[in-house]
Amino acid sequence: MLAATTFASAATPEAIDSGWILAQLARPAPMQTAFVELRDSPLLKAPLRIGGEYRRPDEATLVREVRSPYAETTTIRDGQATIVRGKRSRSFSLSRVPELAGLQASFGAMLAGDRATLERHYRIEAAGTRQHWTLTLVPREAALAAKLRDIVLHGRGAELRCFETEPARGGEVQRTLLASAARAADGVADGKALAALCTAD
Amino acid sequence: MPRPLTAPVRLSLALLWLALLLLGGWWLSQRLSLSGDLRKFMPEARTPAQKLLLDELGEGPGSRLLLVALSGAKPDVLAAQSQALRDALSNDKRFAFVANGGEVGLDAIPERLRPYRYLLSPTLDGEGFDAGSLRDELQQRVQDLGSPAAALIEPLLPSDPTLETLKLAESWQPANAPQRLYDVWFDAKGREALLAVQTVAPGFDPTGQQAAVDALRSAFAQAKGDSQSRMELSGPGAFSVEIGGRTQREAQWIGSFDTLGLVVLLVFAYRSWKQPLFGVLPLASAGLAGLGAVAWWFAGGVHGITVAFGFTLIGVVQDYPIHLFSHQRAGVTPWQNARAIWPTLATGVASTCIAYVTFLLSGVDGLQQLAVFTIVGLLTAALTTRLLLPALLDPSPRDPASWPWVETLWNAIERVPRPRLRWWALFAALALACIALPRAPFWQNDLSKLTPVPPAALARDAQLRGELGAPDVRYLLAIRGADAESALERSEALRPALDAQVAGGNLASYDMAARYLPSAKLQRERQSRIPDAAQAKAALADALRDLPFRDDAFAPFLADLDAARKAPPLRIADLAGTPLEASVSGLLLAQAQGATALVSLSGIRDPQSLARLASAHGAQLLDLKDASESLVVAYRERVLWALAGAALLLALTVWLALRVPRRVLRVLLPMALTTLLILAVLRVSGVELTLFHLVALILAAGLGLDYALFFDHAGDDHADQLRTLHALVVCSLTTLLVFLLLALSSIPVLRAIGSTVTIGVVGNFVLGLLIARHAVAVEGDG
Repeated sequence: MLAATTFASAATPEAIDSGWILAQLARPAPMQTAFVELRDSPLLKAPLRIGGEYRRPDEATLVREVRSPYAETTTIRDGQATIVRGKRSRSFSLSRVPELAGLQASFGAMLAGDRATLERHYRIEAAGTRQHWTLTLVPREAALAAKLRDIVLHGRGAELRCFETEPARGGEVQRTLLASAARAADGVADGKALAALCTAD
Repeated sequence: MPRPLTAPVRLSLALLWLALLLLGGWWLSQRLSLSGDLRKFMPEARTPAQKLLLDELGEGPGSRLLLVALSGAKPDVLAAQSQALRDALSNDKRFAFVANGGEVGLDAIPERLRPYRYLLSPTLDGEGFDAGSLRDELQQRVQDLGSPAAALIEPLLPSDPTLETLKLAESWQPANAPQRLYDVWFDAKGREALLAVQTVAPGFDPTGQQAAVDALRSAFAQAKGDSQSRMELSGPGAFSVEIGGRTQREAQWIGSFDTLGLVVLLVFAYRSWKQPLFGVLPLASAGLAGLGAVAWWFAGGVHGITVAFGFTLIGVVQDYPIHLFSHQRAGVTPWQNARAIWPTLATGVASTCIAYVTFLLSGVDGLQQLAVFTIVGLLTAALTTRLLLPALLDPSPRDPASWPWVETLWNAIERVPRPRLRWWALFAALALACIALPRAPFWQNDLSKLTPVPPAALARDAQLRGELGAPDVRYLLAIRGADAESALERSEALRPALDAQVAGGNLASYDMAARYLPSAKLQRERQSRIPDAAQAKAALADALRDLPFRDDAFAPFLADLDAARKAPPLRIADLAGTPLEASVSGLLLAQAQGATALVSLSGIRDPQSLARLASAHGAQLLDLKDASESLVVAYRERVLWALAGAALLLALTVWLALRVPRRVLRVLLPMALTTLLILAVLRVSGVELTLFHLVALILAAGLGLDYALFFDHAGDDHADQLRTLHALVVCSLTTLLVFLLLALSSIPVLRAIGSTVTIGVVGNFVLGLLIARHAVAVEGDG
C-alpha cells in the first residue's frame, strides 16, 4: 500500500496536471453513463433523488434522461436546452440556468476533449492525485459567475465519478453521481452517505 | 432725398443687414417650437372614426409600434444583443414598452400587486384551488425541482406553487408570438432576432419618432460591440423618419445646387458679384418676419408644414429685388427707381395679400398660419425692397437695356404674332377638355402616396408584422362605454366572438386592455371562488400529503391567496408605474365623456365579417385609412373654398387698381390660362392632384400676376420695356431653376410642387408676353 502510494506520487508529482485529466476524460460520441442526482431545497423535507442516464448521441448533443421517480428528457444542443415531460415541452437558454451551464461544461466540452472551449468559459484548477483528483471550474463570465460559484468534478483515473454545482449566493450544493459512484449509490437512501460517495474514492 | 452712400458703406450695410438676419434667425430658432403634429393642419373631426384618428390615432397601438430585426451574426450572439437592447431601452422614457420574447422579469411587477395574479389570471374561472387540482400542481413542482430548470422556478414556489405568475406572463405575450431561441424571439428561419418596441411619441410626431429611432440606433451600436450584426427598423414611425430624412437630404442637395445656380445667374445677369447678396436680403427678411409673426400669433407652436408651404409661397418675393436691379441705370437714383416700380409691385403684393385673407377665415389652424406667414412675408419683402434696398444699390450700373441680347430677344418676340382673344378661348376649352378627361381619379386622397415607402420595405414590414403577430395599422375595433369599467366589461363580452374568429382563421390574434386588466366585475367573480383562509389551509394540507415538501413550505401562498380574496379590484390607476400601464393605456382611452376600449387586430382575412361581428356586439370596426382620407377630403374642400374666395378678391383688387377692363383682362388672363394649362398637363400625364399641387398652383398664380402686371406696366419708353423684359427673364429663369430641379426629384412631394411651378413659370412667362405685354404700336393706354 505504502509502496503503491509512493509509486503513484512518484509518477504524478503533487501538482496534478488538468491537461492530463481532460485527456483521460475525453470520450468519443456516442457514449452514455448512468447518474444519480441529489437535489436539495429548503422547501423539501429531504433531497430529491433522481436517477437516469446521460447520453451523448453525437458530438453536439447531450441528453439527460430521468427514469425515476418520473420520466423527463432534457436535450442540450447549440446553447439551448429543451425539457420534455409527457406532452409538455419547454426551452431555455443555457445562460439562464447555471445547472445547465455546469452540465454543458462538464460533459459538452469535457467529453469532447474540447479544452479550448472549457478554458474560454472557466478558470480550471486541478488538485489531488491521478487516483483521486478534483477539477474546479470557476466561471469567467460575470453573468454566469453571478449565479454559479463553481463546479467541482471528482474523479478517479479516467473515470468522472461526480460533480457538484455550487450556487453563488448561498443555496444548496447540488450533487450528481456518475458511473461507478452512481452504481454504488444503488440502495443508499441517506443524503450524507450519498454525499460521501461523491467525494470518496 | 437721402444722399447716396459710398460703395464700401453700402456693402457694409448689406453685410450688417445679413448679420442681423442671421442673428434673428438664430434667436428665433432657439425659441421656435416646431410642431410636427399633422392634426393641427387638419380641419375639425366630425365622424367617430375621424375623432379617434385625430384624438388618439397618434397614440394608437399600431402607429407607435416599431418592429426591429437583428441579423448578420450567430443566433446566440443576436440573442444577447436583443437582451442588451431590451435592457437599455426598457428604462428609456421614450419607449412605452420593449418586447423581445424574453420573460417578463418578475421584478417588473411590484410586490404590492403580486397577490392580484389570482384575480388577473383565468385559472379561477375553471377548477380553482381544491385539494385535487392543488395536488396535481404540486406533483409537477416536485419534478420541476428535479429538472435542470429548478433554479428558475424555485424562488417562486413558496408564494406561487401553481406558477400563476408564469401563466400570467405567458398569457400577456402576443397570441401567436414568434419562436423563441435563446429565450428571445426569432423569425421562423431562426436567423433574425425580433423585437417589438412601442414609442411614447405618437406616430404623427416626426420629431418624437426621430428621437426614438435615434435612441434605438445608439442602443444597438452599444449592444453590437465589434460583431457584424445589423439592425433593421420597420413600422410607421421608422418609415416616416426614413422618408423625412430622405426628403430633407434631397431638398438640401437641391437647395445648395439652386443657391449656386442663382448666384451664377444673378452675377451673369448683372455682371456684379454683389447682386446675389442684395437679392437674398428681402427674401430672407420675409421668411424671418413671417416665421416670427406666426410664432407670436399662434401660441400652440408653428407647424412644420406651415414652414415648408410658407417658404414655397414666398418664393415669389425673390422677384422683387430683381425688378429693382433691372431698372437701375445711370441718371436715376435707386430711390426714384424704387418709386417708379412701386405701383406695379404694390398692386401685385396687395392683391395677393388680400386674397390670402380668405385663408384666415378658413377655420383651419394650419391654413391660418400659412396665411399669416405669407402675408407678413410678402409685405416685408415688398417694403424692404421699396425702403431699404435702394440705399444699398450701385446708383449707376450698366443699363440692362444697353445689352445687345436683350434687344435681340425683344425683336424676336416682337415678330411673334399675337393670337386673338378667340384663340385663347379655344385654348381654354382644350385645356378644360383635357382636365375633364376621365382618366385617373382627379384627387389623390392618400397622403402617404406622396411620401411612398419603397415596395421592398413594405413587403419586409408585412413579413415582420406577420412574424411578430403585430397589430394591423389600418383596422381597429372600438368599444365605447360610460366609463373605463363598462368599456372593459363590454370588451370582455366580445372575447368569445373574437376567439371564434381566431379559431375560424379569419383573424390571427387580437389584443385588448381586458387581457391585462379584467373588469372589476370579473375580478369580483374570481374573488368569490377563492376559498377562505381555513378552507385553503385544509385543501393545501390535503394536497401535500405524501409529497416531499415541508408542511410549512407554502405559507406565503396562503397569505397571498387571502390577500387576493380581500383586496379591492385592481383599477387602471393602480397600474401607474408598472409595465402593464403602457399595455393598458394604449388600448383603453378614458375621456371626460366616457371611455373607449380599442381592440387591435392582426392577420385580418375578412374585414367585412369583422365589421358585422362588431356591430352585432355594439362595437365598431374602424378603418383608419378611410378616416384619414375623409379628413383630407374635408381639408381640401376648405382649401378650395378659400381659393375660390381668394380668386374673387384678387380679381376685385386688380380691378380697383387698374380700373380699365381691358387691362384687367390682360393681367388676369395669363394666370387664369396658365392655371388651366398646368391642370391639363398634370391630368394628361396621369397625375392625381394633392394639397401640394394646390399650394404650388397658388404660387404659380402669384408669379403669373406679377409677370402680367410688369409686362402691362412696362411703360412707353422702349428702353424701359427692354429693362422690364430683362427683369422678367431673370425672374422666370431663377424660379425655373429652383423648381425644375424640384420637379426632377425622386420624392413625389417635391416633384408635385416642382412640376406644377415649372409649368406655371413657363406658361405665365409666355402667356404674359403674348397677352399682357404692353403693345406700343397697337394701344396707347397705361
